[in-house]
Amino acid sequence: MSAWRQGAVIAVMALTAALGTFLIKGPPSRLFRCDPVTLKPDEVCLETIPAGTNVVWVDARSRAAWEQSGVPGSLLWNLDPTEDQPACEAAVAVRIAATPRVIVYCGDENCGISRQIADRIRQLDLGAEVAVLRGGWRALSEAGRVKQAGHTR
Amino acid sequence: MALVSAAGLDFPATLKEIHAPADVKTVTAEFEFSNRSDKPVTIAKYNPTCSCIAVQIKDGKLRYAPGEAGLIRAEFNMGNFSGTVDKVVAVWLDNDPEDKPSLSLTVRVHIPVVVVLTPKTVRWELNSPPRPQTIRITMNYGKPIRVIAVTATSDAFKHELVTVAEGQCYELIVTPLDMQTPGLGIFRLETDCPLEKHRLQQVFATVYKPTTKL
Repeated sequence: MSAWRQGAVIAVMALTAALGTFLIKGPPSRLFRCDPVTLKPDEVCLETIPAGTNVVWVDARSRAAWEQSGVPGSLLWNLDPTEDQPACEAAVAVRIAATPRVIVYCGDENCGISRQIADRIRQLDLGAEVAVLRGGWRALSEAGRVKQAGHTR
Repeated sequence: MALVSAAGLDFPATLKEIHAPADVKTVTAEFEFSNRSDKPVTIAKYNPTCSCIAVQIKDGKLRYAPGEAGLIRAEFNMGNFSGTVDKVVAVWLDNDPEDKPSLSLTVRVHIPVVVVLTPKTVRWELNSPPRPQTIRITMNYGKPIRVIAVTATSDAFKHELVTVAEGQCYELIVTPLDMQTPGLGIFRLETDCPLEKHRLQQVFATVYKPTTKL
């Protein structure tokens, strides 16, 4: 058999196997996966924070998004100028006094606000351990860790 | 300045730094781009990460033929921020997936801190000696700013405001009264700062229980 025929046979076999896998197992998973190897120093994977862990969740999304679906017990703190920043700061400080571990989450990987909020919480110098959740709200939502229409201030 | 290419569009800069005055209300930044590829590129959508951002694309034009240039203008309401604030606009080109825009445009605004609080928080470990600690309040403005009132949320700390230099520098001396119980005190400082957004400040005092790391 010539080399190109062998190559063609291998390609057909590979495609058949791929098609079979697709038909049996379905399309590839689009669920968010947190790779610990690629974590930035201030980030955490949700898998390392079991449900019920004593942490202060801070939601850096918009008020509307937080009110519609946030982590139960979470606090809102974003950089929207319509929000009362000193009030957000004070609310987080009160919670840190009892629970000095904070995880900030945002809408998705592209948000960037969670890191700014985490910096602001660190600047309060309350001695809290502050981290940013890799994957943000998407990771929480896919893990069933958010509650619908649960928050108001 | 580094040229950034995204799906055929070249941006001379995707980060703009602006040094704004203390009384800044809005900041506008413009991001120029051009299509240096050999195919048309479409701006599918753009999404400010805050309701405080208004984004416009010059002439409302979303599709750019090879060689064409355009401009994205973003105006930010700065609210009562001071210090450094990043405002981000995500831009999706052509067939970008929903969770992966081609680029993020960032405006980094530096706003002077008019009332400098050092430190922002004074802390005592549980059962340690209740030594007084001092928060220094320094005015960083062309005119004097006076501290006209201090209110505390907790009776677990006593405080005293000392004038070091009227309108220029003050010290808030805080002493915890109970070292056996964790506690937090929030001190609100009212000033006569002519810029309303800097008028109220707050600092913290805490008696804390040491914890182990996550």
